Amino acid sequence: MLLAVLFFNLEGNILVERFHGVPAEERLHWRTFLVKLGSDNLKGAKNEELFVASHKSVYIVYSVLGDVCIYVVGKDEYDELALAEVIFVITSCVKDVCGKPPTERLFLDKYGKICLCLDEIVWKGILENTDKDRIRRLIRLKPPADI
Amino acid sequence: MDSSGTTLMDLITADPSSVPSGTSGTSGPSANTSTTSSVAAPPSTLGKPAAQTDRKSKRSTLMQIHSETISVAKALNPVKTNIMPQKQKKKPVSYSQLARSIHELAAASDQKSSQKQLVHHVFPKLAVYNSVDPSLAPSLLMLNQQCEDRSVLRYVYYYLARILSDSGSQGLSPGGGIPTPNWDALADIDAIGGVTRADVVPRIINQLTKEASNADVEFHARRLAALKALTFAPSSNNEILAKLFEIVFGILDKVADTKQKRKKGMFGGKGGDKESIIRSNLQYAALSALRRLPLDPGNPAFLHRAVQGVSFSDSVAVRYSLEIISELATKDPYSVAMAIGKLLLPGGALQDVLHLHDVLARVALARLCHTISRARALDERPDIKAQFASVLYQLLLDPSERVCFEAILCVLGKFDNTERAEERAAGWYRLTREILKLPEAPSVSLKETSVESKDSLPPKPSKDKSQKSRRPQPLIKLVMRRLESSFRSFSRPVLHAAARVVQEMGKSRAAAFALGVDIDEGAHLSVYSEATDSLDTDLNETSSHSEASRKASSVSNGTTGKDTVASLLASLMEVVRTTVACECVYVRAMVIKALIWMQSPYESFEELESIIASELSDPAWPSTLLNDILLTLHARFKATPDMAVTLLEIARIFATKVPGKIDADVLQLLWKTCLVGAGPGGKHTALEAVTIVLDLPPPQPGSMSGLTSIDMVSASDPKSALALQRLVQAAVWFLGENANYAASEYAWESATPPGTALMMLDADKMVAAASSRNPTLAGALTRLQRCAFSGSWEVRIIAAQALTTMAIRSGEPFRLQIYEFLHALSLGGVQSQFSDMHLSNGEDQGASGTGLGSLISPMLKVLDEMYKAQDDLIKEIRNHDNAKKEWTDEELKKLYETHEKLLDQVSLFCYVPRAKYLPLGPISAKLIDIYRTRHNISASTGLNDPAVATGISDLVYESKRTPAEPDTLDDDLVNAWAANLGDDSLWSNNATAMNRVNEFLAGAGTDAPDVEEENITYRPSVGYDDMWAKTLLEASEPEEDDARSSGTSSPESTGSVETSISSHFGGMSYPSLFSSRPSGYGSSKTSERASAPGASRFSDPSVGSSASMFEGLGSPRYESFENPLAGHGAQSLESQDDEPSRSENRQFGKALYDFTAGGDDELNLTAGEELEIDYEVDGWFYVKKKRPGRDGKMAGLVPVLYVSQS
Repeated sequence: MLLAVLFFNLEGNILVERFHGVPAEERLHWRTFLVKLGSDNLKGAKNEELFVASHKSVYIVYSVLGDVCIYVVGKDEYDELALAEVIFVITSCVKDVCGKPPTERLFLDKYGKICLCLDEIVWKGILENTDKDRIRRLIRLKPPADI
Repeated sequence: MDSSGTTLMDLITADPSSVPSGTSGTSGPSANTSTTSSVAAPPSTLGKPAAQTDRKSKRSTLMQIHSETISVAKALNPVKTNIMPQKQKKKPVSYSQLARSIHELAAASDQKSSQKQLVHHVFPKLAVYNSVDPSLAPSLLMLNQQCEDRSVLRYVYYYLARILSDSGSQGLSPGGGIPTPNWDALADIDAIGGVTRADVVPRIINQLTKEASNADVEFHARRLAALKALTFAPSSNNEILAKLFEIVFGILDKVADTKQKRKKGMFGGKGGDKESIIRSNLQYAALSALRRLPLDPGNPAFLHRAVQGVSFSDSVAVRYSLEIISELATKDPYSVAMAIGKLLLPGGALQDVLHLHDVLARVALARLCHTISRARALDERPDIKAQFASVLYQLLLDPSERVCFEAILCVLGKFDNTERAEERAAGWYRLTREILKLPEAPSVSLKETSVESKDSLPPKPSKDKSQKSRRPQPLIKLVMRRLESSFRSFSRPVLHAAARVVQEMGKSRAAAFALGVDIDEGAHLSVYSEATDSLDTDLNETSSHSEASRKASSVSNGTTGKDTVASLLASLMEVVRTTVACECVYVRAMVIKALIWMQSPYESFEELESIIASELSDPAWPSTLLNDILLTLHARFKATPDMAVTLLEIARIFATKVPGKIDADVLQLLWKTCLVGAGPGGKHTALEAVTIVLDLPPPQPGSMSGLTSIDMVSASDPKSALALQRLVQAAVWFLGENANYAASEYAWESATPPGTALMMLDADKMVAAASSRNPTLAGALTRLQRCAFSGSWEVRIIAAQALTTMAIRSGEPFRLQIYEFLHALSLGGVQSQFSDMHLSNGEDQGASGTGLGSLISPMLKVLDEMYKAQDDLIKEIRNHDNAKKEWTDEELKKLYETHEKLLDQVSLFCYVPRAKYLPLGPISAKLIDIYRTRHNISASTGLNDPAVATGISDLVYESKRTPAEPDTLDDDLVNAWAANLGDDSLWSNNATAMNRVNEFLAGAGTDAPDVEEENITYRPSVGYDDMWAKTLLEASEPEEDDARSSGTSSPESTGSVETSISSHFGGMSYPSLFSSRPSGYGSSKTSERASAPGASRFSDPSVGSSASMFEGLGSPRYESFENPLAGHGAQSLESQDDEPSRSENRQFGKALYDFTAGGDDELNLTAGEELEIDYEVDGWFYVKKKRPGRDGKMAGLVPVLYVSQS
C-alpha cells in the first residue's frame, strides 16, 4: 500500500499531500516526522538524489527537486525499491509539467496539473501509470494508448 | 512575517510580480486584517466549525452564501465573472468565490473564455482544498454534459471522483489541503437549499455509469475516465459495487476474449490498428477498476477474467491481473494453479511477463509463483509446483533489484508479516540446496520429459545472446553474488533493501538452526563449480544495463574455486560490514540488524560488539532506531535462546552508551527474557551480564576519552545521566527480584533448617558458608550491599528493597546475613567499614549515616517478627513434645493465624507463593497442613477466602476434601512465578514494553512515528484557521470574525473549547495524541507507572491472582518512596476500583432539542431521543443512541445543555 505522497517546500510547508489508509490522527505525526527527516538530511542534497528511511514496517523514500521536497511512504509490496520507482515517476512528471526542476512559484503555477498527474500515478494507494507520456495523455483526457 | 501564516491559497493566488519566488511570507500582510489576525489559530486539519455559540451566526452566513450562489447559478446568463479583479487586489481567493465562479462558468461553459478561466484559475485553486462541496456537483455534472473541452472535462472527472470518495468526514478524505467544513452538516443547517452528498451522489453515479457503459468508440477516453472516477465511490456501498462489477465485466466480456498475442514493446499498442488499441485501452481500464474492487475468491468468472488479463497487451493491465491472481492464490491456490497452468508453459503469457517492462508486474509474478509452489493444496501435483518454483528461481536473475529481492525473500519463506518458523527454515534449506535450471539450456532440457514442447519453441529474444552457456546454478551462489553487487551500489534505497534481505536471510537461517534442519554450511558446492564461469557471464549479461557498480561483482570471482555456504556467507558478510560506513543512519541500522541476525551463536561476537559500540557513539542516531535494534535483539533471542548471553552483552552496550535514548522497559524485558531463556546453566552468566551495569563507574561529565570503549559510560549530558541512573535502578531492582531465580535458592525449598543459622552468628563464618553454598546468590548479595551504600539516594532505596526481597525469599544463612546487614544499615554504624568503597556524589548522607533508617525499619520489623515467631514455635513444639500432648485445635488456630498474618506482611514486600511459603520455617509445615486439612482451607487463598473467614467452609466442605492446590503446581513454575518469570506472564506482563516487542515481532506497525523534539517543525500550509474565519465569513461578518480570532487566545473562548474537545477525541493536538496511543506514551504512561507498583506489589499475591501482580513487573521505579506500609494499599485499591466504577455509573438521558453535528465527532440529535451518557468533557457529553440516526451514527458528542439527564 502506498500510504502517502507529500510535497513540501524548503521551509517545511506542505504543498500537496495525498494519504491513503493513514488514520487522520496519525497524519500529523507523519508530517512532523517527514519534515524533520528532510531538515536533518536534505541540506545540500542533489536534485533527485534518493534518501531512505524506515519506521517499523513502513518505508519512506524522499528526494528534493528544485525547491520542492518529495516524500513517498509505503508498506508491504511498496518497499524502499518500489518507492524509488514511484518517486522516479513523480519527479519525471513534475519535471515534465514544469519543464525543469521547479521553483516553488513554478510549482504553484502548475498546481492543478500536478494534482492531475498525481491522480494518474497513484490511485487509491496503488501505483497506476509509470510512463510519463502516457500520463501526459491521460491528464488531457486522451486514451492511454493513442489511436 | 512567518511563512506559517500563509496559506497555500495565498501562495497560489499571490501576484507573482509582487512576491519573490520561493519566499512565501510576503503575501500575508497584503491580505485583509481578518485573515492576518486569524492565522495564529492552532492548525486544525479537521476543519471543525466553531463551537456551538457560533452556530447561529454561521447558519445565517451560510444561508446567505447558499442563496447567493444558487441565485447566481440560476441566472444562467453569461456573466463576466469576478475572479480576476480579486486577484488584482492580491487577496486570496476564498472558497466561496471559487464555488461561485464554478457555478457561473458552468452556466457559460460554451464560451472559450469561461473554459480557459476554469482550466487555468478556478479548478487548480479548488484543488488546494481537501474536499469539494457537494453543492458544486450539479454544476460539475452540467459541465460534464455540455462542455467539450478535454482539459475542463478532466478536471470535472477529478472533482466528481473526489466528491464520491469523500466519506463525508472531511478529515478522512485522502486529499490533503486546506481543511473544509463538514458540508453535509452545513447543508442540514440550511433547511431549504442545502445540498448533501446523499443528494448528489446518486446523480453522479448515474451519470458516470451511463458514460462508463457508453460503447461509442469516439467516447472511449471519457469512458475510461468515468470508470476510474466511479471506483472512488466508497466500497461499502453494495449498490455501487454491483454496478461497478457489472460495468467491468461488461467491458471484459467484449474485449477480454482475444486470441491475439501481446506485442512486444513497452505499451504494445504502438503501430497497432485502431480496434486493437481501443480494446487494449478498455482492457486496461477494466482491470484497473477490477483491481480496486474487493476480491471475489471462489467466483470462477472473477478468476477467469483476471487470468485473461495476463495476456493483455497493456503492461499496467497485466500487472493488475497478476496482482489480483497472486492475492487470489493465497486463498485458493488450487483453482488459480489450474487456471493459469497453461500460461506457464514455455511461450505462455506468464513466461512473457518475465520480460515485461513493468517491475511491479514481475514482483506480483514472484509472489504468485511462491504462493503456488508452496501451496499445501497442490501437494499431489509436484509437477505444477516445480514449474512455478522454476519461474520463481528465474526471477532471481532479474535485472531489477526490486524483483530479484522479492524473489529472494519468497525463496526464504518471507512472504508476508506472518512469521512461521517452519516456513522460514524450509526457505533457508531451499536457498542452500536448490539449483536453478534454466529451461532454455539444451543440456538441461534433455533431462526433462517434455523435450519436444521445449525444443519446438523459439528462444526468448532477450536471452538469445546468453543461450549458449546456460547451466544449472546453485541458488545460494546467485543470491550471494547479487547481494554483494547490490551492496556496492550508491543508491541508499538499494543498500537499505539489500541489508533487509540479508536480515531476512539471517532470520530464515536462525529458524533452520532452531528447528534442527540439517544444513552443513561447510560442505562444498563443488558439484556445480564448473558452472560458475557461465554463471558470471549470465549475471553480467542480465544486469549489464543496470548500475555500473554491478561490474564490481567480478571481484568475488576469486572465491569461486571451492565454495561452501559458509565461505559464501563470510564473503557476503564482509561486504555487509563495510556498509556500516554508509552516511545514512537508516541504512546503518538495517545493516546492524542484518549483522545481529546473521550472528551465529557459535561465532565470536566481538566484531559485532565493537561495530555496535562505535555506532552508538554517533549522536545522530534517533532513539526510535536504537529501540528498533534493541527489539531486534529480542527477536533474535526468541529465535535462538542459546544466544542469551551474547545478546545481553550487546544490550549492555546500549545501557552504557545511550542510556538516554533507549526504552528502559524494553531493555529490562530483554534482560528478563534472556534470563529465563538462558536455561539452568546460563542463568548465572545471564545475571552477571545484567549486573555488570552496576559495576560501571559513575559517568564522568565532559570526558570524551574512551568514546569507543564499551566499558565507559557515556552520559555527559544531564538527560542521559538521569537515564543511566534510572537504568541502574532498574538493574538493582531486577537483581533483587531475580537473584533467587537465577541462583535457584528459595526459602521454601531450602534444605537448611532455620535453626542452623542461629549457630553461625559469627558474621564471617556466615558469609563464608553462604558463598560456598551458592556463589550466585552471594555475588548478587554483595553487589546489592554495595549499591545500598554507594549508589545515589534512589539507587540505595531500591537496593534496600531488593535486599529485603532476597531476605524474604532466601533460606538461611542468607536471610540472617541480610538481616544483619539491614540492621547495620539502618543504624549507619557499618558505613565506616565500607567508606573506602563509597564514592561520594556530593550528597549529604543524613544524620543516621545512610538516611535509610525510616525505610528499613518496617522491613526489619517483618524479619524480626518472623524470627520471633519461629522462636516461639520451636518453644511450643518443645513444650508439646516434653508434655507429650497433642496440639489442640485452638493452638493450631493460633499458629495458623500467625502464619497467615506473617504471610500477609511478607506479601507486602514481595511476591511469595502463598501455598508454599512458610514464614514460620519448614518445621511449621506439618502443623499448618493439619489445620488446613481439618478446616478445608485452600492453601492458596488462606483466610482471605471469604468462605473460610466466615466459617461457611466448615459447614459446606465438612465431608469432602478439597484437592490441595500445591500438589497441582509445578515446582519450577512456582519458582518462576516467584521471580515474576512465569513463561506465560513474560509475554503479558509489561504492557507497554510488551506491546512494542510483540508488535515488532509480528512485523506489524504502521502507525506514525514520533518525533522527539517538542516543537513541531512542519507548518501545514493549510489549516492555519478554520474555513469559517478564513474565507466564508470574512466578507460578510468581519466583526464577528475578529471576536473569534481574538478569543482563541483566551482560555474561556469558544475557540479553546473547540480545540480542547478536538484534541480530546483524536484531534490534532500534539501531546494528547501521544497519550491516546495504545502503546502508551507520555502522560498516560507516567500515570500508569505511578499506580502500577502500588497495585501490583500490594495486591493479593496468591497464585490465582498472579496476573495482576505481573502487571507491575516492568515498573521498578517506585515513584513514591514513603513507607510502603502506609499509603500504598489504599491507593492500589482505588486504582483497581477505578475501572468497574466507571462502567457502572452509566447515565441515561433524553435529547431536549434537535442538535446538528458540526463536526466529525459530534452527533445529530432529534428532540426526545433516548441516550446513554458515557462521560462529560468540557461542556459536552459523549453519548450513545439506542439506534443509529439518519446519518447512521450511533455515538458522538453533544452539548450538555441539549440533554436532560434522567
